[in-house]
Amino acid sequence: MSVRASMFFHVLERGLLGRGNRPLIAFIALTVASTMITAMLSLYYGLENKLNRDFRSYGANVTLAAPDGQTLPTDVVSRAHSILGPDAIVAPFAFAIAHTTGGEAVVVAGTEIPQIQRLDTWWSVSRWPNNGDEALVGVRVESHLGINQGSFDLDFAGRKLHVKNFGTVKTGSEEEDRVYIPLSTFESWTEIGPSLLEISAPGSRDQITTAISQLQLAFPGVQVRPVRQLLQAQGAVVSRMRSVMLASTLLIALTVALCVFSTLTSSVLERRRDFAVMKAIGSSQVTVNALFAGEALTIALCAALTGYILGSGIAAWISQANFHAVVMPQLSVLPLVILADVALALLAATVPLARLQRIEPAGILKGE
Amino acid sequence: MFLRLLYQSFRRQQRRKLLAGIAVMLGVAVATAMIAVGVDVGDKINRELRAYGANIVVYPEDAALSVRVGDQEVKPASPGAHLKESSLPSIKGIFWGHNILAFAPFLETEVPTQSGTLRVIGTYFDKQLRFGTEEFSTGVEKLYPWWKVQGRWPTDSGTDGLVGSQLASRIGKHVGDSIDLLGVPVRISGILSTGSAEDNAIVASLALTQQLAHAPDAVDKIYVSALTKPEDAFARRDPDRMTSADRDRWYCSPYANSVAYQLREIFPGAHAEQIRQATQNEGTVLSHISGMMLLIAIASLIAAALAVSAAMATTVLERRQEVGLMKSLGATEPAIASLFVCEAALLALCAGILGFLLGDAIAQRIGQAIFHTGIVITPVLLPMVIFLALLVTIAGSAVAIRRALKLDPVLVLRGDA
Repeated sequence: MSVRASMFFHVLERGLLGRGNRPLIAFIALTVASTMITAMLSLYYGLENKLNRDFRSYGANVTLAAPDGQTLPTDVVSRAHSILGPDAIVAPFAFAIAHTTGGEAVVVAGTEIPQIQRLDTWWSVSRWPNNGDEALVGVRVESHLGINQGSFDLDFAGRKLHVKNFGTVKTGSEEEDRVYIPLSTFESWTEIGPSLLEISAPGSRDQITTAISQLQLAFPGVQVRPVRQLLQAQGAVVSRMRSVMLASTLLIALTVALCVFSTLTSSVLERRRDFAVMKAIGSSQVTVNALFAGEALTIALCAALTGYILGSGIAAWISQANFHAVVMPQLSVLPLVILADVALALLAATVPLARLQRIEPAGILKGE
Repeated sequence: MFLRLLYQSFRRQQRRKLLAGIAVMLGVAVATAMIAVGVDVGDKINRELRAYGANIVVYPEDAALSVRVGDQEVKPASPGAHLKESSLPSIKGIFWGHNILAFAPFLETEVPTQSGTLRVIGTYFDKQLRFGTEEFSTGVEKLYPWWKVQGRWPTDSGTDGLVGSQLASRIGKHVGDSIDLLGVPVRISGILSTGSAEDNAIVASLALTQQLAHAPDAVDKIYVSALTKPEDAFARRDPDRMTSADRDRWYCSPYANSVAYQLREIFPGAHAEQIRQATQNEGTVLSHISGMMLLIAIASLIAAALAVSAAMATTVLERRQEVGLMKSLGATEPAIASLFVCEAALLALCAGILGFLLGDAIAQRIGQAIFHTGIVITPVLLPMVIFLALLVTIAGSAVAIRRALKLDPVLVLRGDA
C-alpha cells in the first residue's frame, strides 16, 4: 500500500473513531432514518397479504355448482384441492327437501362440518355437531317447526332419519332456513351427492380470478363463479389501503430525511477547521472530498444495516400486535434502505463541502 | 432590551430562521396530515366495505321458511306475511337514519308465461322517496354496486324490466325484446348478471310486481346497508335487560344490532337481523386497518418530532459565538436561555399554523386521490398540533441551549470550541 493510501485510511479511521461523538450523532440519525424506512416498507409489502387474509374470513369467494338436478363428480373435492393448493378451504354441499313428522317441508343440507367451521367463521353456532346423528338447525327452522330440545325425525322419500341432538345456527341469511347434517349421513340417507362446492381460495383478487379460470378448465360442465360482492369489496379496500400506505411511507421518509440532512450538514460544517488544515498542508480537493465521502459512506452502511434489523423488528412487532401474524424480514427492502442512507449521507456532505470550498483555508483558520 | 434582541434576531438572521421554520412547518404538516388521514380512514374504508351490499335484513316475523333447492321449490300452504311498502321512507327517520346508505325492498312472485313459469323479483332501482322534507333516492343500484347490467337500468315507474343472464340465454331474449307477463308487455331494458339467484329471474319495478302478484303495498324483505361500528361485548347485550342509562348508550351507538332494533320499531311485527357475514367480518377488517393507521400516525409523530428537534439543535449550535458574546457582556444564563426559548416558541407558533394549513392541504390531496372525497379534519387538531409543535421545538432546542451555555466564552470567541 502506498504511503498516500495508508495515510488516507489513517485519517479516515481517526475521523470515525477519534475525538468526540460527532460520528456517533450522524450514525444515530441515519439509523433512525433507516429504521423508519425499513419498518414502513416492510409493512407496506406485508399489508396486502394481511388484508387478503382478513378477507378470507368472509367465507367462500368462489362457488362451483353442478347444473340443476345433477351432482358433481365424486373426486371434485380432491381435484379442486390439487388445483388450489393445501391452503384453500373446500366445502361440499348436497341438498334435499325433507319433511318433518308434522308434514312441514324443510331444506336439509349435507356438508363436511369441520370445513364449515373453518370456512364460515361468522356463523353464530350454539353447538357444533360431533357425530353422524347430530345436526345443526337454523334458528328459523327451530322456531317454525317447533322442534325443541332433543331429537326429531326427518323423512325423505319414505326413508327416515333420526336426529339425536342438535345445535342452532344464526347468520341473518338463508342458512337459518336449513338443517345441516354431516355429508356421510346425508349420502347414506338420501343417496344424493354434493351439487355445490363453496371454496375459499387464498390470495389477491387477481390470483382468485386466475384460480377461477383454472377450475373452469378442469371442470368443463359445471358453473364456476366468483362471489362477486366479496371480490369487489376486497379489491377496493386492498388497493385503497396500499395507496394510503404508500403516501404515508413517502411522507414519513421525507420527514426523516429532513432530520438526517440537517444533522449531518451541521456536523460537516463543524469540521471546517479540519478541512482548512488539510488544505493548508497541501492535500488536494479530490482527496478531501474522498475523505468526507468515505466517512459518510462508512457511517451510512453501518447505519443502514443496524436500521434494517431494528426496522424489521418493529415491523414484525406491529404486525404481531395488530394482525396477529408474523411478518418475515423483507430482504428486498435492504438494498433500498442502503441506497437511501448512502444517498442521504453523501448529499448531506456535498452541500456544506461545496460551501466550504469557496472559502480560503486561511480565513477559516483565523476564525472568520 | 429583551424584545429588541428578539426582534433583531428574527430580522438579521432571516435565512437561518427560515430554514428552522421550514423544518418545523414540514414536521407539523406531516404529523397533521397523517393524524387526519389516520382518523378518517376507518370511516372511508367502512364506506368502501359497504360495496359488499346489505348488512341488515328486515322480514315479517312469521315469514314462511324458504324451501328451495335449485329449481325445485315447495310452496308454503298459507301465503306468507308482508311488510308495508308505505312505511319504507321512515327508515330514514330512525335515530341512525343518516348512517343508512341505501336500502331496497324485495317482493317475489311467479308468473306463468309461454316459456314456462318465471320468477319475477320486484324492487327499487333508483327510487325517489321523501321523508318529511328530506328527498332521497335509494334502490339496488346503490345497494348492490356489483350488479352488472348490460343495457340500461329500468325506471321505477314504467313497465321495463331486467332479465337475468342465465334466464335470458335459456328463453332466447335480448335487450329490446318484450315478454308478456299476465297481459303486461314488459320491455327488456337490460340483461342482469349478479352471480347468484337473480341470474335466473326477471327483475322488475316493485309497483309492477305488486300488480302481478295482486299484493298492493306488499314487500317480502327489505335489505339495508348501514354504516355501523364493529361489534363488541356491549353491542351483543340484550337491550331489554339493561339499565336505562346503558340502554340509551346502546341505542345511541351505531351498532348493527341497535340499527336493527330501531328498524324493528318502524315495522311492528317484523324481524330485523344483522347479516352476520357482512357485519362480523367488516369488524375484523376495520379494526385491523384502524390499528395500523394509528401506529403509522404515531410513527409519523415521532419522525416529525425528530426532524424538528434536530433542526432546532442545529440552529442553536450555530450560534455559539453569539452565546459567548452575550455571556462575556454579562448576560445571565437564564436570560440567554429565555431568549432562545422565546425565539423557539415564536417560531413554533408561526410555523405550526402554516404547517397545519399545509398538512390540511396534503390530507385533502390524499383523500381526493385515494378515496375521491375530502378528509374531515376536526378543529380540535389545531390546538393539539400547535401544542405539540411548541413542546417539540422547545425540547429540541433545550439540549442545544444547555450545551451552548456550558461552553467557555473565551474559547468560543477565539473559535477553538
